[in-house]
Amino acid sequence: MSDFKVLQRENGGVSVLELKGYLDAHTAPKLEDAIQGLIAAQRYSIVVNCKDLSYISSAGLGVFMAFIEDVRNHQGDIKLSNMTPKVYNVFDLLGFPLLYDITKDERDAVKKFVEKKK
Amino acid sequence: MRIRRILTLTGAMILMVIVVALDLVRSSVDFQLSGLIVARDLMVIGSFSLLYFFLELSDPSKTENVVRRMGLILIAGVVVTLMMSAVSLLGDQGSFEAKEGKLLPLGFKAVFLASFVTFGFALLCILLFRFLRDLVLYKRRRGTRRNLIIQMVLMAATGVSTIGLDPLDTSVLTSVLFGLTCAMIVVNAFRLSWIVYLSKRGKIFTLVYGFFLFSVLTVLNALSHSGLVNQLLLYYSHPVRELVGLTLLFGNVYYGMAFVSTLFHLPTADAFERKATEITSLHDLGKLITRVFDFHELIDTVTAMTLQVCEARECWLEIVHRQRDLTKGTADANLHASFTEGYWIQVMGMKNIGADEIEQLFPFGRQTIRDLLIQERKALVVDDVATDRRIRVSQENRTRTGSMVVVPLISHTELIGILYATKETEYGFFKDDVEMISAFADHATMAIENSRLIDKSLERERLVKEMSLAQEMQKRLLPQRLPQLPGIQIDATSTPAFEVGGDYYDVVHLKGNELGIVVGDVSGKGMSAAFYMSEVKGIFQSLSRIYSSPREFLLNANEVLSGSIDRRSFISLIYAVIHLQTGRLIISRAGHCPMLLVRENEIGYIRPSGMGLGLSEGSTFAGAIEEFSLQLDPGDVCVFYTDGLTEARNGNDEFGYERLVECLSGMRNKDTVVIKNSILESVRSFTSGQPLHDDLTLVVLKWCGPGG
Repeated sequence: MSDFKVLQRENGGVSVLELKGYLDAHTAPKLEDAIQGLIAAQRYSIVVNCKDLSYISSAGLGVFMAFIEDVRNHQGDIKLSNMTPKVYNVFDLLGFPLLYDITKDERDAVKKFVEKKK
Repeated sequence: MRIRRILTLTGAMILMVIVVALDLVRSSVDFQLSGLIVARDLMVIGSFSLLYFFLELSDPSKTENVVRRMGLILIAGVVVTLMMSAVSLLGDQGSFEAKEGKLLPLGFKAVFLASFVTFGFALLCILLFRFLRDLVLYKRRRGTRRNLIIQMVLMAATGVSTIGLDPLDTSVLTSVLFGLTCAMIVVNAFRLSWIVYLSKRGKIFTLVYGFFLFSVLTVLNALSHSGLVNQLLLYYSHPVRELVGLTLLFGNVYYGMAFVSTLFHLPTADAFERKATEITSLHDLGKLITRVFDFHELIDTVTAMTLQVCEARECWLEIVHRQRDLTKGTADANLHASFTEGYWIQVMGMKNIGADEIEQLFPFGRQTIRDLLIQERKALVVDDVATDRRIRVSQENRTRTGSMVVVPLISHTELIGILYATKETEYGFFKDDVEMISAFADHATMAIENSRLIDKSLERERLVKEMSLAQEMQKRLLPQRLPQLPGIQIDATSTPAFEVGGDYYDVVHLKGNELGIVVGDVSGKGMSAAFYMSEVKGIFQSLSRIYSSPREFLLNANEVLSGSIDRRSFISLIYAVIHLQTGRLIISRAGHCPMLLVRENEIGYIRPSGMGLGLSEGSTFAGAIEEFSLQLDPGDVCVFYTDGLTEARNGNDEFGYERLVECLSGMRNKDTVVIKNSILESVRSFTSGQPLHDDLTLVVLKWCGPGG
């Protein structure tokens, strides 16, 4: 139940966080630490790849909400990608697509960052 | 018991009277009947035996108050000595005529005197022997009792061996037995274990009493062997005379040994007494811990005991708090930050020293022996305060001299306190003192732990009560009764995952014959979610009466909530208004689960676009909220719920939206209460009775038609 991992890598100058497993109140601190680390390193272009994310609770959603303002204030963003239909539904019910860029694939999200720079 | 005493005493007295009478007769008439003589001797022995038993029954042996009993025996001895001296000096030396080994009394006076003297000696010897027996048997070892019994048997045998003998005769047997008895007396005279346990005062008294008893018994012994007294005793009873002699000898030897032994014990008497006090104190402290719950009282007792037992000049205890444990903040005036970071000190239980003095001696802001102890965590002994480098003697403290001990209180590898004790003299604390103080410190540690655990337990009890109260109160925030109105059937349930939860539902009868239904879910669970839930109720109860349009309501609710909700939290809400007469349903969804609509020919979800409350404000939010309008047919059922239902788990599987649809198939014509229970039953069986991991809410509404 509390199997959760965050893998970090780079893709075209953008930081990508790969979420694997179950994101709830118990495991949310791991994601928090990861994003906090990126902010501390002044890496404000963040894509969260949810390909292997099996579940997200309101606590997980709250993590994004906690940092988005700060990231956007530094001309950055947190974009989400590769969601399974079930997970996308959770975001969609709450209206997240109107607040965040949620793309089908990571490459689309990265492209958006590149395009913005231009 | 009383009867036995009366019998023995009267028996003794009767026999004595008979003997005296016989003697009186014998003095005038010359009797040669040896049988009668033997009988007389036996009666004498009998009478004194009965007297012994009488005293045994009246005054059972007590091992307490040895010193006092010694004093009493001494007094008795002195009295008897004086009496016998008087008899010896003043009595008529020619009271008896020695003839052929026999003693013939000349006159009644001699007979009476013989009885009197023998009685006096015998009584003293009985009392003396009983006391000696108690002393010998005190803290006995294997064989002690046996040795004493052997001595008693030998004494009796010596006495018995003279039965039938003429007063002035002796026999070899008697001498041999006498010798053997003396040997046993010496053996038993080594049983002096009662001396060690006396207090120092007791030992000094024993020394004095022992000396005088030795002297008195020597005099008595000499008296009993000389002149008139000897004759009086022999005349009255040879056996008794032997026993008297042996008992006096026993007393002599024993008290002589006791005197010498006590003399050798005196140098260690002080230390022994201190040790005994230390052990008693530890006992008392141990008992106190289980009885006293007042923390301050306990600490006070610990320092008081340390002061007393170690004969310290000053004593105090410092409680150590770690930074992380200070939930109440450091505003407490008694709390000082120590030089070592992260440690806070609370001074308590001060004896003979004040807080100011302590602060002067070991300032909290500077590095002192306190910090050394925090680091080393073992007892520190300062033999000379004035010269020890660990104690920086400031200007004010230059007059301070002596020694001190600083001992840590450690519980489960954590330092929770420090115990200090000082003495006036240098080198005042030795290894056993430090061990003693450490033992006290250990007790104090247990007491402190106990007290803290009790506090925690009481606090937890209080919190449990508070939670229970919160649960009660929250239940009341949900509708106590659902409105019974013509045209609708409605049933609902809500179960929090913990004691309190973040789910909310409400039903209001609005003006214009409309019914408003709201179901909401605060992100998260527990206490914080419950707080938001009650805020939502307030907002709903007031705004729903103002804004009958669901969308308008949500827009205004979002504005209110955005002010107080924190960044990470949000609230999902669904609000539907039904006109009871027309069946028109208007619905808006703020990020909540879609409503399930059960029509005659289809079951499906109504999902207007929406966004959770608290996620954004202004135009973004307004643009996200859609308002749906639809017309219900009579008998249509609307199901509202929270994600606690659809996300109910069985292993990795969720109940889901499809299963909910399945639940409703064929159920449209049932009563709402039946539908509700059937859904709940499905969920329960799906989760196989596992507890819910999220709050679950379910509202089932059926529109029965106009005037239905």
